[in-house]
Amino acid sequence: MTEQPTIGVNEKKRDFLKLVLGGSLLAWIGAILYPVLAYLKPPAQAEAEVTSVNAGKLSDIPKDSGTIIKFGSRPVILLRTPKDELKAFSAACTHLECTVQYRKDMGLIWCACHNGKYDFNGRNVSGPPPRPLEEYKVNVQGGEVYISRKS
Amino acid sequence: MSPRAVLCIVGVAVLLVDQPRIFAGDQCVTCHEAMEDAPSKLFSHDVHAAKGLSCADCHGGNPKADDPDVAMNKKAGFIGVPKGDDISRMCAGCHGDPEAMRRYGSVLPTNQWEKLQSSVHGALSTNGKEHIVQCITCHNAHGVLHVKDPASPVYPLNVVRTCTKCHANAAYMRSYNPSIAVDQLDKYRTSLHGIRNAKGDPHTAQCASCHGSHDIRAANDLKSQVYPTNVPSTCARCHSDSTLMARYGIPADQFAKYSRSVHGIALLQKNDAGAPACNSCHGNHGAAPPGVESVSKVCGTCHALNADLFSSSPHKKAFDDRKLPECETCHGNHEIAAASETLLGVSAGSVCGRCHHGDENAAGYKAAKEMRQLADSLSDAEAKARMLIDEAEQKGMEVSEAKFKLRDVHQARLQSRTAVHAFDEARFDEVARKGLVVAEMVGGEGQAAIDEYYFRRVGLGVATIIITILATSLYLFIRRIEKKQA
Amino acid sequence: MKRTLKRLYDWLNERMQLDDVIEFMGKKYVPVHRHSVWYYFGGVSLFLFIIQVVTGILLLMYYKGSEEFAFESIQFIMSKVRFGWLIRSIHSWTANLFILTAMIHMFSVFFEKAYRKPREITWLTGMLMFFLMLGFGFSGYLLPWNELAYFATKVGTEIAGVVPVIGRPIMVFLRGGEQVTGATLSRFFGFHVAVFPGIFTVLLGIHLLLVQRQGMSEPLTPPGEPEKELKTMPFFPNFLLRDLLLWLIVLNLLAILAVFFPWELGKKADAFAAAPAGIRPEWYFLFMFQTLKLIPARLWIVDGEVLGIGLFGLAGLLWLIVPFWDRKSARGERSRFVTYIGVFIVLYIIILTIIGWAS
Repeated sequence: MTEQPTIGVNEKKRDFLKLVLGGSLLAWIGAILYPVLAYLKPPAQAEAEVTSVNAGKLSDIPKDSGTIIKFGSRPVILLRTPKDELKAFSAACTHLECTVQYRKDMGLIWCACHNGKYDFNGRNVSGPPPRPLEEYKVNVQGGEVYISRKS
Repeated sequence: MSPRAVLCIVGVAVLLVDQPRIFAGDQCVTCHEAMEDAPSKLFSHDVHAAKGLSCADCHGGNPKADDPDVAMNKKAGFIGVPKGDDISRMCAGCHGDPEAMRRYGSVLPTNQWEKLQSSVHGALSTNGKEHIVQCITCHNAHGVLHVKDPASPVYPLNVVRTCTKCHANAAYMRSYNPSIAVDQLDKYRTSLHGIRNAKGDPHTAQCASCHGSHDIRAANDLKSQVYPTNVPSTCARCHSDSTLMARYGIPADQFAKYSRSVHGIALLQKNDAGAPACNSCHGNHGAAPPGVESVSKVCGTCHALNADLFSSSPHKKAFDDRKLPECETCHGNHEIAAASETLLGVSAGSVCGRCHHGDENAAGYKAAKEMRQLADSLSDAEAKARMLIDEAEQKGMEVSEAKFKLRDVHQARLQSRTAVHAFDEARFDEVARKGLVVAEMVGGEGQAAIDEYYFRRVGLGVATIIITILATSLYLFIRRIEKKQA
Repeated sequence: MKRTLKRLYDWLNERMQLDDVIEFMGKKYVPVHRHSVWYYFGGVSLFLFIIQVVTGILLLMYYKGSEEFAFESIQFIMSKVRFGWLIRSIHSWTANLFILTAMIHMFSVFFEKAYRKPREITWLTGMLMFFLMLGFGFSGYLLPWNELAYFATKVGTEIAGVVPVIGRPIMVFLRGGEQVTGATLSRFFGFHVAVFPGIFTVLLGIHLLLVQRQGMSEPLTPPGEPEKELKTMPFFPNFLLRDLLLWLIVLNLLAILAVFFPWELGKKADAFAAAPAGIRPEWYFLFMFQTLKLIPARLWIVDGEVLGIGLFGLAGLLWLIVPFWDRKSARGERSRFVTYIGVFIVLYIIILTIIGWAS
């Protein structure tokens, strides 16, 4: 007679514990699965942005043109000169760090901010820039263009 | 009158007139004057003669002997006509000796020969045997006059002629430096210095005032008085002298103002040789750099983009009509401060409001106000974006790509500052808005990174709570099982 | 629910005699005594290995194993992939904890002499797995292709090259060339995700099978004392649940480490840059590295480094075959001598690791 209530209480305890155990187990599984599934879902930007050691195919770069390429956190301008030479320089203007561009009509590298001009050797030839542009090494391997720092 | 009486009178007259020489008993002078040669004629006015010096003091020999072989004898120390560097060495024999100079009561410096040797004129002449210039080149040999003597070749008004003897001779200069200019005199004569000098003002600048005298160095020599970083202090020697400048009614504060300006700081403190010194705007020997209407239009030679935009803007005609100098009106001339947003707009401290009051020139007033607002919001947006990125970085989040994009915002700010000079709201808007868009995007990425940082910690907290509940219930479960087994 | 499970069980049982397996497993008991807490370290090591496999496979989804992209791909995982930071930091932290728990497991087995007959093969497979773990650590360390890893690999393979006769061919084999280049990265990647896991799994299978067959080793009774009947607990469900509880806590610990002490990435490797100051290997190699530093450059006719490597090789070999030369343990007796050796080695490793860390 006196045992029954305790058995009843124990049973209730058992069920409650099993409930908590089961529930927290499910929650735990969810806490594991959620990050894993979210991880597997491809992010909006499909791939890491190339820090431009590889600047693409040589055949994709027209003669007498210049493109800006990201090199880590620095901008680099890759030129293919009219004489079909490949040159790469830091695209940060040495005056106030604006990003320079290649001007086909002027036949040189130009900075839009204060009219700074650089020649095909990166030398500052006109305007406010006090120093030449840092030169980068360009290699072509297997039709692909690689830009690296000059050591 | 008897011949003897005449001789006596002549003798006394000669005595009275030619006192020093006769009393000196100087036979050199006597002979050479009788020969009527140029040196002796010139020497009569020479400042050395006035001090009691004579031929033998420089040439050596025995001045008391009237026999040329005795007088001009090597054994008596006669050196003949010195050639090349021997000339200057002879001068320096006294002029480089402080004792000797003191004996004659002179306060002249005694390092001229030293200075000359290390100057550009001390280089080897094309004949390879001597310096290009000797003392006598500028000072003459036998008619040396004090620099304050108007007849001296180194008197301020005569310096120009002395220097241009060589420096305006293209054929001669070519043998030393084919690329050196030989038209300095022509240019100089168009300048105020040159005009005044021609009119007879000995206080105005001439060659030696800027280039020095004995220690003239090439313009690209760091020690030269006309080396770019030294030019301002060279000009300031006169132009900061208020008493001197008062004579011409010119202020004397330009150097002080310039030193505080962005150009002055760049040149004098940061040693940026690309920054303008006085001569960059005012010209070297001429009044203004070539191809420029006046000093007020000079800025465009470096600040080409701004000048172009200005010239095609409505301000060009407006300024010309009112005879206002272009850049100077808003930016000043000597005390040009680094550009900032405060210059633009209609509030206190801004220049637009000076002409564009509320009701007058209303279109301009509105444009100025709006451009300023846009510039301010761009500046704020950049600051905010940068702050967010920095905070995210501090928290250890990866934001290198967003940081890279900040460059575009910085660039937009710089470009908008140039674009202002078109005084066209639409154009300014175009440039500034590009920056605003990127700034917002970057700020968003920064904020997202910061949010992610907190999300991770909150997520960890939630996961820990779940695990704790699970672990505790599991533990209790184990205990229960084991109690049952016991 | 229960009925479906029963139906599934019956279906499998018909084909695989699961009943026998269940009966066998139900009879497994784990002795309970003063040192039974050490029993858990084997299980924790297993758990950490499973974590490495899972996080490793996840990382494989985004990692690019070439000189050009390795660094950037990890940057990508850390910043652009959702929870990429979590997976990567857990993988890096677990690698270190895995080696630590494995070492604790190894030393606890050593001091308990659990390697004695009949468990010699268990010890051998365990030791081989441990060496593979060091290989995992060394090869995995290079994969981010950052400055530290580049130079650590350079130095490490350089040391391997010092071994007489076979050293240089081994070094060239490891490096995929004379220098550390992208070729080295490719090789290490292959080792790390294919070769080592394959071999490790085989060894682990043997190891676990033997543990299941032979049960847990009981501690040696001190001489002169009667054999005691030890208390036991059933493996299922008691020990297993306790194991799972511990694993849960370890998992939480890993999550905390990943959030508050995220694993660094550093700078991308640059062959032309100077080695950064204070370069040193990971802590589990530190004691060997420090020992080599302490040995003088030349000892009689022998080159210092060769001597060092030789000593370590010899020590490792002796450690590996301890079940065969610890005769006393084979007889079921405690060997004081072997215990002292163990103590010396533990102290040596700890002290030299600390010295290496501090310098």
